[in-house]
Amino acid sequence: MARQKSLPSAPEASGHLADKTLIIDNGAHTLKAGLATHLDDTPPNLDSCHIIPNVIARSQRDKRTYIGPEYSDCLDFGELAYRRPVEKGFIVHWEAEKAVWERSFLHKDDAVVKCDPEETSLILTEAPNAPVALQRNADEMVFEEFGFAGYYRTIAPTLNAYAPSPFPSTATSVSGVPLECLLIIDVGHSHTTVTPLHHGRPFQHAIKRLEIGGKTLTNQMKLLISRTFDVHREDHIVSEIKEDVCFVSQDFNADLERVWRGGRYDPRAVDASLLVDYVLPDYETIKRGYARPHDPAVKLRDIMLGIGTEGGRREHVLTIANERFVVPELLFSPADIGMRQAGLAGMVLQSIDALPAGFRQAYLANILVVGGTSKLPGFVQRLESELRSLVDVDEVVRVARAEEPAKNVWLGGAGMAKSADLMRSLIVTRQEYAEHGDGWARRVFAGKARR
Amino acid sequence: MATGPLRFRTPHIEELPTTGSKQSPNYVYMAVSGQQEDPAKNWGTNNRKRARASVGKQTDQQREALSARQQREVERRIKDLNSDYKPALEVVVPKRDGGAGVGSAAKAGKTPNTKKILASGKTFTHHLEDEEAEIARTGRRDGDAEAPPATHRASKTPLARRKAREDSSLSGSPAPVTPMAPPPLPRSAQALLPSSNAMEIDVEDDDDEYDSIPALPSEAEMEALLNAPPLTYNQARSAPPPPGAPPPRRFCETCGYWGRVKCMKCGAMTCSVACKDDHDQFKCLKMYA
Repeated sequence: MARQKSLPSAPEASGHLADKTLIIDNGAHTLKAGLATHLDDTPPNLDSCHIIPNVIARSQRDKRTYIGPEYSDCLDFGELAYRRPVEKGFIVHWEAEKAVWERSFLHKDDAVVKCDPEETSLILTEAPNAPVALQRNADEMVFEEFGFAGYYRTIAPTLNAYAPSPFPSTATSVSGVPLECLLIIDVGHSHTTVTPLHHGRPFQHAIKRLEIGGKTLTNQMKLLISRTFDVHREDHIVSEIKEDVCFVSQDFNADLERVWRGGRYDPRAVDASLLVDYVLPDYETIKRGYARPHDPAVKLRDIMLGIGTEGGRREHVLTIANERFVVPELLFSPADIGMRQAGLAGMVLQSIDALPAGFRQAYLANILVVGGTSKLPGFVQRLESELRSLVDVDEVVRVARAEEPAKNVWLGGAGMAKSADLMRSLIVTRQEYAEHGDGWARRVFAGKARR
Repeated sequence: MATGPLRFRTPHIEELPTTGSKQSPNYVYMAVSGQQEDPAKNWGTNNRKRARASVGKQTDQQREALSARQQREVERRIKDLNSDYKPALEVVVPKRDGGAGVGSAAKAGKTPNTKKILASGKTFTHHLEDEEAEIARTGRRDGDAEAPPATHRASKTPLARRKAREDSSLSGSPAPVTPMAPPPLPRSAQALLPSSNAMEIDVEDDDDEYDSIPALPSEAEMEALLNAPPLTYNQARSAPPPPGAPPPRRFCETCGYWGRVKCMKCGAMTCSVACKDDHDQFKCLKMYA
């Protein structure tokens, strides 16, 4: 039942492997993209991975539209309207995604990663458990619209097995050989997934997903800050506040007590070490907001007028107290907003319980945390202590975060691209796609068809 | 029985206690079924809410469960939290030069398939619902396995006239699809799988209290596990916390501390009198709840 495949330009006669490989880790918040090649032996360099915002933003103030990498050129992030091509981790709006890809890779003068699709293979990642229609759309766009020479689509966590292991006792893997046992916790923008991998292959029935990610945390932060100052439309600024100021508390009850002002009849002294004054950017004098420790002597009204500040500039200051640790707490107890899902530790145990009993200790001892949101201070420590409290005393629990949590999937992809044998066995070339069709290609990527 | 002195002489009459003449008390024990309502509490109100609260027909679990309206409210809030900011004006993807192709051909798509993809305005929920509908219709997902062999129509021959057919395919369900070859990852990885069923360890005499390490699955079982088809999007959601978990914690709406007192009108929680005053003045939905 293969559809007639009509590629716009004829594929090259030989199905040989292209020299260069473009690895795109297509996330909801950013693209991580870079070139790697199997012709030389140097280990993949993190510098060749570029982080490109995966967004099309329109500024009412500038009347300009920023696509992809142009987003960092924006001078005024206030009240930007966003359009994200990726929803819930999957590329849904291909019109926008094509614009971002073209701007990043195919632009004549200003491409972030210059490449010619006809001579490059592509490794594209997607989130686990994708609807089949979206997978078909991605395959068709890659081959028919962009015309890449070869293509491999996989779920993002599997590539982590090819990146160097952060555990000190595990030997560094040779490029092209995956690590044996890994439990990947990917704390991303749209959601958080837990994936156990065995030699780089996932246990499909044990992949679990929690619907809380960086986006949820940012929106919750908007709600909480809007109690004092309305920031519902300031997505970029609140995202920066979250990254600067939030942390994961190791003892939630105690920290909440420390910052409580007390009731009317029993006022308490607030522990000022946890409070933070955040200076909002106004994109005239202050280009980027920053945080400073709370100074109770400062009068907010004076500062707004520019009295008593450095250089006489007007500062709009927000005091952020318990939002700092209440917002990341959502990852560990989603019931706080009424979500009926178990927290991160509970989800990890659900995933491990779905595996054969003999693997339990192996996976508990090899938990790798990746994803931008895992850069929150105190995240790994809190996850480890929660897991330990839920698990038997004599079971070893090791949790480690990748050195570069955002780029680790790309690093794994680059490690995979270094090995020519591995690539030859995985990549589907344009010629094969034209012969056999998209259904066959999809089955090959899922491992159901022979090549 | 004569009690007390009488004024005139009567013969002495004394009633002797016998089994028959024992005076029956004016009460008797009876088994009554069902929970009896406390008549003091039931004053015949017609208001359902008051009757529910006072007469006590609800169990603890029912009292703690959210009403349907509250549940919808919670779900709407969660959906808002997980949504991208939708501005009033849609952001239009601009046509740019300097890209791969110039002109309308590049923007609209090079082949009919891509034209369709680029022009489609479907969101993720549409795709998800399409997939659920297809699974409900055909029982399988595209690309998961080969199509099951055509199911035979139910026979219209009356039972009495049906001949015994042992070798027909009507007798069994469509043959299960045999799993295909393993995915194209290096074969050397599979050789590293332990071929033995159980781990052999040296158990010393004084380690008798340790249980043996559970066996790793055999190679065939491992292959079956790793080749299993992926779950659908909704199946992969993590499960709710175990029933013994503590109830969800609620925080003060004004300051963020623990919520200790509930507003009677709108159900929001606040921590103290000061925060509650603020809530009543500015945030309470007493007009609309």
